[in-house]
Amino acid sequence: MTITTKPLQSVKKFYFLDYFLILLQSIEKQSQREGVFDVFKILKQKHRLGESKYKKLTEEREPLTERQQQRYRYTFKQVVEESKDYGLIEESNEGLLTLTDEGGRLLKDYEFHGEIKFNRSVFKLMEERYNAFRILLEFLYTANPSRSGVLIFPHYSPLELHFKRKNMQTTGDIVRYTEKLKEKLTDDINHYLKRLVNLDDKNEEILGKLIKDGVLPKKESDSFNSEDYNKITKRIRDFWITYFLKDLYRSPYTMSTFELWIYRARQIGIIHATEIYPTLNGKLVYPTSVIVEHTASPDFASIYQYNDGKHLFLHFPIQESFQEKFVEALYSGYVTLRRYYKNYFINLAALREIVCHNLKISSQLFEHYLNEAYRLNLIGELGIRISLEVDKLPEETNAMYLKHEPVMVDGSYRNIIAIDLAKGEENE
Amino acid sequence: MNKLLKKPKQPLPSSQQGRYERFYLTENPFPTEPVNKDSSDRRINGEIYEKDIRVKEYTQIEEAFLKQPQSDLNRLRLGYISDTSYIGRGNGKSAFLVNLMRKINQDYCLDISNDLNKCFALYVTPEPGGRTKRFASFVDLLFSSILQSKIINTCLALIRLDAIIIAYPDIDVASLFSNEEELIHCLSSPSDLSERGIEPSQLTDTISENEFLQVLPPDFPLSAKRRGFLSRFITEEDFINYFKRLKNGKEKIDFIFSHMVYLFMAAGFNGAYILVDDFERIPDFQSGRDRKDFAIELRSCLLDGPYVNARYGFYNMFLVLHAGVPQLIVDAWSSSGLGNRYPLMPKVDASHLVIFDKLNREHISMLLKKYLSTYRLEQVECDDLAPFTPAAVSLIAEINENNAAGILMACRNLLEYAANDPSQTIIDEDFIRNKSKDLEGDDLGKSPIIDASNTTDLMKKATEK
Repeated sequence: MTITTKPLQSVKKFYFLDYFLILLQSIEKQSQREGVFDVFKILKQKHRLGESKYKKLTEEREPLTERQQQRYRYTFKQVVEESKDYGLIEESNEGLLTLTDEGGRLLKDYEFHGEIKFNRSVFKLMEERYNAFRILLEFLYTANPSRSGVLIFPHYSPLELHFKRKNMQTTGDIVRYTEKLKEKLTDDINHYLKRLVNLDDKNEEILGKLIKDGVLPKKESDSFNSEDYNKITKRIRDFWITYFLKDLYRSPYTMSTFELWIYRARQIGIIHATEIYPTLNGKLVYPTSVIVEHTASPDFASIYQYNDGKHLFLHFPIQESFQEKFVEALYSGYVTLRRYYKNYFINLAALREIVCHNLKISSQLFEHYLNEAYRLNLIGELGIRISLEVDKLPEETNAMYLKHEPVMVDGSYRNIIAIDLAKGEENE
Repeated sequence: MNKLLKKPKQPLPSSQQGRYERFYLTENPFPTEPVNKDSSDRRINGEIYEKDIRVKEYTQIEEAFLKQPQSDLNRLRLGYISDTSYIGRGNGKSAFLVNLMRKINQDYCLDISNDLNKCFALYVTPEPGGRTKRFASFVDLLFSSILQSKIINTCLALIRLDAIIIAYPDIDVASLFSNEEELIHCLSSPSDLSERGIEPSQLTDTISENEFLQVLPPDFPLSAKRRGFLSRFITEEDFINYFKRLKNGKEKIDFIFSHMVYLFMAAGFNGAYILVDDFERIPDFQSGRDRKDFAIELRSCLLDGPYVNARYGFYNMFLVLHAGVPQLIVDAWSSSGLGNRYPLMPKVDASHLVIFDKLNREHISMLLKKYLSTYRLEQVECDDLAPFTPAAVSLIAEINENNAAGILMACRNLLEYAANDPSQTIIDEDFIRNKSKDLEGDDLGKSPIIDASNTTDLMKKATEK
């Protein structure tokens, strides 16, 4: 039994680990709380940090609105509290913020060793306090032991089931959508989890809730308030995700706590979570680390030791032989996607998801190995020829957040990949 | 005797319908692959092409480029065909370009320009693997597309033809050859010429008087200064060998942008169009420095460098840019000065920038009709879109976000599904809805892609002894 020193739920909000960095950097420059907040705001925009798990696409140049200010201040307050909790900063009675020795050490970590080292240091502080990552990892492995802790959370928006927004007016329309959704989810549960379930009651439950709360009119032919459309679809979505989490996987945690910690874990490379896995509508979550006392495999790196003697081992293969395995996985993933989309050019982010899932590695490692493979490719020492293209730049989309985090190769972001088997005689 | 008299118990039916016959088609008309101009399959090589879809784009090119007299040195020499949509791939740009090339080469632009211009067109695609990174490799690429287009053979033939007219004024040239192909073939073979009473060596003397050949370097094939006892019969092979001997850089650039220009002019051409497809394959692999160097070279060769081409503006170039590419090269373009002459993102409509729009619903019907009519059974009367209903076409277009390649692929699959089901004679909305799972590839891709069997079992890996 794992004993937590503090309940997981006491952290209320997700933010990137980068937030700890920019807070420490702000306090290094300023100590008056207001002054710190001012620098924090500037750095936040510079690092393109949003308020969600996606980074922003562009820097916001316009002055902040009152509401934004409030949101920023709330985030700021949370990060300050959590940092105090970890002993990274101190606040005097006069409201002056200063770095502790530990805080100063972490900043040095960042300066000399970069982001990975910094994130791992923050991770250690978090784990000492919450044991959160261990609890999560153990939950994943218990929830789906036969598939190495891979959990799926399928979901389909009305549009994905071919219900157009403009045709969604009445309770009847929503009922037709949830019926179709129910069928799809039943299929998915059968397909992925090999379980037969009847979701009729659950479907009734969510519809009943929406009607009881007055969001949907009782009569099928009555129209609902069109402004509530997003609210309705979000509630349906959250309902089913909670169903997967609580009923199917028996998670002890709520959806928001679960989400918050898996995305934190992703930044450290402990767990991978994605919403863009090809052919899967919804989210895929799986561990890229294990908790055991000892491992004989050289492909793991211990980043934390618990009191009971167990370690948290990251799957972190750095042997040269792994490069070959990576290239194999890259090529076979590419071929699968090419066959599927019948297109020579494949979305690199989609390929990343396949390779990460097959090899159970983090996206950071994927990027590392892809860069290496690309370098070998350019000097002609690879069995395949890789072509990477930019196509549309992320900055050009209207979207505000970067849902498909791009992959950085050879110093620039790439979105599209094509691979050929190199021909022997072309080795000039 | 018995075996001769006996009949099988299950004879084949006397009237067996073809697989696509009930859809009034001879074959599945839709392509399996993207455009490849060298394929022999009409569905793939861009031959099935509905020109009406791209009238706007074509007219702009015709007005701003093809119809402008090449002798006007201030006309446009560089154009961009720019795609704005995110799903730019498979929007028909390659098909458009291949057909533009064919249209120009069909009558060497004489018909389009009202005999003002005689131009040929080349289709160029950079290597997908990033090999076309520097201008030098781009020049190599230009030479290989010159070879591919067989324009050298044509030019040699034309030059000889002119010489025959001068040296043998009594011969009626037109009666010697039955068609253009035969003409080019004959004029490329000394023995064929001799057979027709024309002495190749006598032609060489006449050819050497061609004004454009006077200024070529002495070792250039067909150079006027190369005469004497070396007056061999020059073929394409001589050009290949000559090019191989040239050094990368200035020598090869001079060859393509000066000497070959003279050769083309000697053959009677006054211009050429170089259509560069998938241009982003070049800058994608370039560093900022590479891009700038490339842009400077391009500017120098096209506009104001010490090359014959820059003086005459012989080559006109079109670059096909996918969405996002202008941003990628805009810095290099502006620092090289190319951006001032031909801005990548002009503030107002500019005739050098051809915007390649997304298809609309009407275009899509036209496109499908074109494919269907090409494989339609003879002498049947049916709707142009049959077996697809108009509503079905709208739905297919919607599912595929009006992307031409996606739509063609969906139509191909739907027709296959329908062919497998003997009761199906039309493809309507309901049929598509039923099959839309497969169209999205759910069934096809799900299992192999998220299959657990070929993935790493991390816990097992960590705990194995």
